[in-house]
Amino acid sequence: MTASFDARALATLPSRGELAQHDAAVWDLRRRRDAAAARVPDWEALRERAAALKAFSLDHLEELLVLFEERARAAGAHVHWATDATSLCRIVSELLAARGARRVVKSKSMLTEECGLNRHLEARGIEVVDTDLGERIVQLAGERPSHLIVPAIHKTRREIGALFHRTLGTPKGEDDPERLTRFARADLRRRFLAADAGITGANFAVAESGSIVLVTNEGNADLGTSLPPLHVACLGIEKVVPALADLPVFLRLLARSATGQPISAYTSVLTGPRRGGELHLVLVDAGRGALLADPAHRSALACIRCGACLNTCPVYRRAGGHAYGTVIPGPIGSVLGPAFANGEAGELPHASTLCGSCSAVCPVKIDLHGQLLAWRGERRAARAKGARRPSPRERALVACAAFVLSRPALLAPARAAARLAWPLLARRGPKSPAAAWLSERELPPLPRESFRAQWRRRRGRA
Amino acid sequence: MAAAAGPRVSEREAILARVRRGATRRAVHPGAHPPPPLAAGWDAFAAALAEVGGEAHGPFATHAVNDALVELVRRRAEGGRVVAEPSAAELAGRGPWEVAREPAVGHAFADVAVALVLGCTAAAECAAVAVLERDAPHRALPFLCQRLVLLLPAASLEPDLHRAWARLPLAAWRGHHVTWISGPSKTADIEQTLVYGAHGPLGLDVVGIA
Repeated sequence: MTASFDARALATLPSRGELAQHDAAVWDLRRRRDAAAARVPDWEALRERAAALKAFSLDHLEELLVLFEERARAAGAHVHWATDATSLCRIVSELLAARGARRVVKSKSMLTEECGLNRHLEARGIEVVDTDLGERIVQLAGERPSHLIVPAIHKTRREIGALFHRTLGTPKGEDDPERLTRFARADLRRRFLAADAGITGANFAVAESGSIVLVTNEGNADLGTSLPPLHVACLGIEKVVPALADLPVFLRLLARSATGQPISAYTSVLTGPRRGGELHLVLVDAGRGALLADPAHRSALACIRCGACLNTCPVYRRAGGHAYGTVIPGPIGSVLGPAFANGEAGELPHASTLCGSCSAVCPVKIDLHGQLLAWRGERRAARAKGARRPSPRERALVACAAFVLSRPALLAPARAAARLAWPLLARRGPKSPAAAWLSERELPPLPRESFRAQWRRRRGRA
Repeated sequence: MAAAAGPRVSEREAILARVRRGATRRAVHPGAHPPPPLAAGWDAFAAALAEVGGEAHGPFATHAVNDALVELVRRRAEGGRVVAEPSAAELAGRGPWEVAREPAVGHAFADVAVALVLGCTAAAECAAVAVLERDAPHRALPFLCQRLVLLLPAASLEPDLHRAWARLPLAAWRGHHVTWISGPSKTADIEQTLVYGAHGPLGLDVVGIA
């Protein structure tokens, strides 16, 4: 863990009640995933197949991208290429400006979050409405999503009720999820019908047909692409898969891994523009090409953004998504963060217990905990070059510990001394020798008997 | 737009060059996934549909479909506007519905209470019904209506998504959209409480035709 991660975690999920609620809600998603996976007889074979398909796609990405572009153009779509966030923002704002579009409805897209598209467009006087309910909640609150699938999982119904009262004019004190959803539905329907353009991401892109795939439970991406005359889809270059027949493998894994549903409510495969409409596809690199060239970490690009690694991660569950300080939180965020090199993200691989649960649930078998460990190693090696030398006090402490720990005969008296000193060590306050360590932890009281003493006594009884 | 065409071409080349550096071209496509040993049949489909918040009816013999639909639609529409896509209307016969005529912009369906649309095939394991542009040319209709009724030939049902996918006619992919619909619109974004009808239909009925 890192100081900045801890500080953000403490700032965003402060009370024990909220922590427990967050933990339980996220863990419930993990349990649902387990139940759904257990009902699929070929689950592990599907994971193997999905991993192999992604490995193939990443390894042949150039051909697949060129084919995707050719087929999408043949179907009537316009294809743009953006090397970075600045380029994506410029392309989208030019497209909107050229058509006089002022009102945009947007469905969930982690890529556009990553590239700061909303801010860019809003600064140019364009109204951007996030239409996924969770995204809309965090947009109205002026926050970032804290989960890939459930963006407002960190907020209680009371908070959302108060937010809707303030921003949508719902009755004061209304916090019933169904009634709040109905208010949001009415408000957003009006915006769908009035929109000049719809912006989406894409869950997958298919090279052989030039299609994109949009997966939602709410139907917001379908409404956003079927009503306004202009559809702009922003997708990372790693989203391309070879063929339409490859999609069922991913679709059978995606929703089950995310929420335990057998499939999301709406899976739309769109090829070219709809009649009377215009479709623009923006293929975005933004660090992906560089990551692809890094054999140690490229497999992180296989991620299908299901959020399963977040749901199972003991650190994510207790710290919340905002602790990560990046758009994508959790283990996959800690792996992608350092690769996309944004500020403090280099510390994120330390926000993990390396228990390996993330790798065990990943539907495309990304070795997440192995990658976290590898990033730690790289960071340590990089820091070692210009690192400060340990102080004489630190060196003496480490030498002393090494001396005692390597001599079993000294351990017993050392343990006895530690038991005597325990009350002093556990004392909180600025003068405590462990003040910094204790600022975020509690030392539990010691049991009356040490483990070794108990072991000896019980063996003696036996 | 033309003025910006130069730099965009170079961005394309820059991205492809980066991607080329990362390719080893050693990975092999794993081929088709063998269909899983799952049960097919209307009952399995109906059970899966109930789990995702939808309701299955039938399957009805062809001569009984009209009566079943008229009764269901009256109950669901509660006097509201009912619109059927042409292919669904052809199967459903005459009833308290208007047939969607072209051209019609999506906004024309904002007040529709019930929409009738024909499904092409379905996967029993996840209760997903494939709706093709051929049968649903008015793209906004299945999402703007308050309740959606899908007609599904029971013989088109497959046990799993792989087999249902393979059953789609090749021409389906030449259309603008193929949408797999599994249950009504839903969200659990507020304290993980499941609510049907986030943006799209509040309810989904699938009527089987024997």
